[in-house]
Amino acid sequence: MADIALRRIRKVYGTEAPTVALHGIDLAIRSGEYLAVIGRSGSGKSTLLNIVGTLDRPTSGEMRCDGGDVFARDDDGLASFRNETLGFIFQFHHLLPEFNALENVLLPRRIRGGRLDPGLVKRGKELVERVGVGARMYNRANNLSGGEQQRIAIARALINAPRIILADEPTGNLDSDSSVAVQGLLREINRESGTTFVIVTHDRHIAAGCDRVVEIDDGKVLRDFRPREFTDDENWRSLAPCNCRERERGFASPSA
Amino acid sequence: MFNLAIAFRFLKEGRTQTALILIGITLGIAVQVFLNSLIVGLQRSLVDKIVGTSPHITATMPDILPAAGLLASEQRPTLARIVTNEGNVKPIREWRPVVEQLRKLGPIEVINPVARGAGFILQGEKSVPVTLQGLDLAPADKLYDIRNRITAGRFETGGNGILIGKELAAKLRAGVGSSLRITVPAGSSDLYPVNGIFDLGSLPLNESWVIIALPRAQALYGLDQGLTEIELQIDDPFAAGRWAGDLRAAFPSLKWLSWQETNTEILQALRSQSSSSYMIQFFVLLSVTLGIASVLAVSVVQKQRQIGILKALGTRTRDVGRIFIIQGAVLGLAGSLLGSLAGFGLIELFQAIPSQTRFPIPVEWGAIALSVAIATAAGTLAAFVPARRAARLNPIEVIRNG
Repeated sequence: MADIALRRIRKVYGTEAPTVALHGIDLAIRSGEYLAVIGRSGSGKSTLLNIVGTLDRPTSGEMRCDGGDVFARDDDGLASFRNETLGFIFQFHHLLPEFNALENVLLPRRIRGGRLDPGLVKRGKELVERVGVGARMYNRANNLSGGEQQRIAIARALINAPRIILADEPTGNLDSDSSVAVQGLLREINRESGTTFVIVTHDRHIAAGCDRVVEIDDGKVLRDFRPREFTDDENWRSLAPCNCRERERGFASPSA
Repeated sequence: MFNLAIAFRFLKEGRTQTALILIGITLGIAVQVFLNSLIVGLQRSLVDKIVGTSPHITATMPDILPAAGLLASEQRPTLARIVTNEGNVKPIREWRPVVEQLRKLGPIEVINPVARGAGFILQGEKSVPVTLQGLDLAPADKLYDIRNRITAGRFETGGNGILIGKELAAKLRAGVGSSLRITVPAGSSDLYPVNGIFDLGSLPLNESWVIIALPRAQALYGLDQGLTEIELQIDDPFAAGRWAGDLRAAFPSLKWLSWQETNTEILQALRSQSSSSYMIQFFVLLSVTLGIASVLAVSVVQKQRQIGILKALGTRTRDVGRIFIIQGAVLGLAGSLLGSLAGFGLIELFQAIPSQTRFPIPVEWGAIALSVAIATAAGTLAAFVPARRAARLNPIEVIRNG
């Protein structure tokens, strides 16, 4: 069953000299899937993530979720869709520095409105424990290390029990140890709760560990495959950054 | 109210900024409150001087002297005859029913019947012009506060007994017990013993007033139980204009004048003082508003990241705007409350300095409440432009660029 289905999503920027960022993308993201979106800079993968995250509207095409076109909603409707259905993990953590770790985790719930009951606070605390920052629950967000901040961001993405978590370079700003730990955490959550993950990444380790990889190039889906169906070596090659890959394939790329 | 929590947290975190703008608003509102109270106090004391011990409304007979042209006219020859018979002062003859009716009207504090006329005191070769004030001492004291201001002798008239002012006594070298020869224009001349000397705190009054019993003055000026004036004091001096209008309608045979109509120049001055004070207050408020607007505009730029996150996590556009509007309102409210307190302190301080306590400065609670309300509204209004910018912020840019 598809959690979210993109149909002929086109995105064009500018009117005078229009730049086409996405050329009619069709993509079905299945429930519980652990999906990586890769592609070089400017390929359109960020635009795609913004559209799936409803931070941006497509020029044409639709995104179906629960039988309706999400973009038929008004801006407030999109805001509540984001709040209730999606969880976000950003590259730069993006916690609110004015609030402590626990408060940041509870943020999406408080945005949704209603009272902050003890049960909810308990769940927030559990999530902070779950991501391994329990000891620094009441620390200001900017008094946490990069890895801790990203873990708190993961806990925050989980508080509203979203169906889909969108992660944009979730380890892009972390050292390799933290990066491995965060990757492991994301995968665990996916297995435990069946939450769908869409991870935009440059990291071939992450991509290789995903159920499915979608490569975007020039605003189109270039490849859509399951790494498990290939050998490690094949994956290692095919998931290499584009410039290396081209060299390995023998296409000399003078500018890269 | 999560908006409120975020607004407060933003204010709390931007400590220096919040403190500076709060000090700014506090100073502005303190000056506004102080200035307003000072001017109200000054005006009240001035008006008090004008109306405190003088009539608020005066009734006389209408001046029925025909115009020069009319004298020759054949249509109204009778008027000319009346004038010749009575002189130019026509007494109010039927005043007792008027006073009865006035008493029934309610909040008239003093009704003072007066028979007033000119006279002069002969002393050697010199004649000193005076005004004979035929007064009924009880109401006259209530109006002019004479009893407390008797400096020598006793507060008593009757027969020929008179009270004179301090300066007149000095000029005539007269004291309690002296007898003065007073001549009135009709020709009668008599000796009048001085019963007491008063100091009404006004040189013109102290120099010219000779207070005498009402019946004696009526007889001297041939008024035949009549009055030259009825003087009224009411509870609210500023209602005098309205009262005079009503009285004009009720007793059209008399000419009613309010103190405002006889003091137009001073009132004009007070009005321009008030309007300059309003102008200052307006500019203080304007700078408070601009201050809040600029601080919030900076804050929106500083909090771009946070705004982006909040929007990405599903905060609705209008709620993002509200975060800043709340901040504007809170700054306006807190600043103006602090400012009112400081202004109140300034008033107290000003009054504690002995050399400055020329007049009491009232604490105008109503005006303070109004200042607070206006400043809060201004703060809220000032937040609108920054709030709109915050609401329009596109989260994508913030999120991509860290």
